[in-house]
Amino acid sequence: MKKTDFPIPDEQLLAQVAVVPGGENRSGTFILNNHLEVCSFSRSEGLELISITKALDTYPWLRKEHYHPQGTDEGRPEGFFLRVKEGMKITLPSQAALCMTASIDRQVLHNVIILEDEASLEFITGCVSGFDLAEGDHLAVTETYVGKGAEFTHTMVHSWGPGIRVFPRSTTLVEEGGRYVSNYVSLRSGRSVESSPVTYLNGPGASAKYASIILGSKGTTLTLGGDVYLNAPGTGAEIAHRAVCTGGKIVQKGLLIGNEACHAHVDCAGMIIDAGEDGFIESIPGLQSRHPSAHMSHEASIGKISPHQVQYLMAQGLEEREAVSMIIRGFLDTGIRGLGDELERRIEEIAELAGHGEE
Amino acid sequence: MFPVPGKLEIKNLAVEVGGVRVLHNIHLTVPPGEVHVLVGPNGSGKTSLLATIAGYPQYRVVSGSISYDGTDLLPLGLTERARLGIGLLEQRPPTINGVKLRLLLDYIGGDDPERKRFIEDLIKETDHAHLVDRNIHEDLSGGEIKKAGLLLLLARQPHFAMMDEPDSGVDMDSITLLCQLMNRLLSPEREHPAKRRTGLIITHSDVILGRVSTDKAHVMIDGRVLCGGNPRIIMKKIRESGFDSCVDCLHQGE
Repeated sequence: MKKTDFPIPDEQLLAQVAVVPGGENRSGTFILNNHLEVCSFSRSEGLELISITKALDTYPWLRKEHYHPQGTDEGRPEGFFLRVKEGMKITLPSQAALCMTASIDRQVLHNVIILEDEASLEFITGCVSGFDLAEGDHLAVTETYVGKGAEFTHTMVHSWGPGIRVFPRSTTLVEEGGRYVSNYVSLRSGRSVESSPVTYLNGPGASAKYASIILGSKGTTLTLGGDVYLNAPGTGAEIAHRAVCTGGKIVQKGLLIGNEACHAHVDCAGMIIDAGEDGFIESIPGLQSRHPSAHMSHEASIGKISPHQVQYLMAQGLEEREAVSMIIRGFLDTGIRGLGDELERRIEEIAELAGHGEE
Repeated sequence: MFPVPGKLEIKNLAVEVGGVRVLHNIHLTVPPGEVHVLVGPNGSGKTSLLATIAGYPQYRVVSGSISYDGTDLLPLGLTERARLGIGLLEQRPPTINGVKLRLLLDYIGGDDPERKRFIEDLIKETDHAHLVDRNIHEDLSGGEIKKAGLLLLLARQPHFAMMDEPDSGVDMDSITLLCQLMNRLLSPEREHPAKRRTGLIITHSDVILGRVSTDKAHVMIDGRVLCGGNPRIIMKKIRESGFDSCVDCLHQGE
């Protein structure tokens, strides 16, 4: 029998959010379950992945330069500190799992990520609640610093039970020539998710790309933001939001602020499979330009799966469900890779729902 | 590896779309290994006939029958008919965002290594590599859309190949290549070009009719098949006197 207060999260739970329980093929791992740090280790030279409390105790500069206390911190914060040292290119991805498996009311996190100049890393953060956890709040603040010429890809995968409320807040600074890629996948979105990441591209040539895949099922309210300030010449930003509605309320936002000569594009696309009683998708792609050489564009579309698309694929020999699945997979393809079987399973689930919706 | 060509037999077919009758009392037979051409003015029901044979559900058969190699097609859906070996090159196929042509070709290849190799060779030989990594029909020119469609048909190796205006939206240079692809589809064995698949093509293009051999033409007007005969003679008559002469011809018997 499974106990909800067992300190090590269930392997299946971790797999739901693309976290490898043993840390195989990962350069570093941090696992937090409820208020307990289960493990934190690095297998790569130049990569540090420890708890934020330990980091604050070890590095006095951290609190001065990179750690900005939030109202939510309430004394000793929980969360991780990730640092890749100057020039270190880490080939294997690192991972963090932030799990809620017991009735702890709320989990309050404050993470700090630093990629020093010319460093690079792919990082997966999986946030998940236990199968039988009825309710709770997950509040997470993440500060990310991407140094000159550094490259950081952060893929966040969420999987929440129906009673969980989630408030991720993140701020990212990118310096000259740095590249930041943020992928967000939430196919079990709990009761509500309110996310409003803000990125400042402060150095010339810095770039950011946001991609998100969200599923809003019945009983879910999702508000997904993404503001990017293009503050230096030659900066570039791209936002691609994809949302599938099966009865939930979804608001997709994305605001690009061009303060210098830059290129930026925001694309919000929604697919309504079944709006149910009060489900909807609202897309608000925004542009604000303060410079004559800021080239900025946006697009937004919301629709259902076109019957002609399904029929065309069926006329090539696909079953209806295979056709719907292929279309949804294509719709959700924003270039997010490496999530393995779990994403595939969710897409199959959506395809199943879509198949019923067509009847 | 090539299939025995199939026979299409349509009897007394009447079809409605959204409650409006679009096809009336169609009789049409395409014997195995023959390629027939459908001609007729816009709105005469040619596309509706091909879509009905393919099994598009909005084309509701209200009477008559369609049989393929003796199998009644009417109880079968799009998928089953496709799997029986019926293929259609649509005139205006949909764009499918995010779905690469490669994904569909991989599906068609399935787990059969020989079929997969055949498809890979086909992509190389027909110089289609640049199309397979594009989203299906997205931002393609008229010619590229037809090429992509013909590549799919070639990959599927249907027993019965239908093509709806394969020349529409295609520039003159590309038509030559399209004709080569069509001939490759219709005469799959290079050493035996007369051993052909069964086919039904909607076209009025002299270039296509000059380069792709057809056995018989059928004239459609107002949802009816009025007559059938030698393609060259029928096209010559239509070029000289237009489709009105076909209507006159029909009324002569009254």
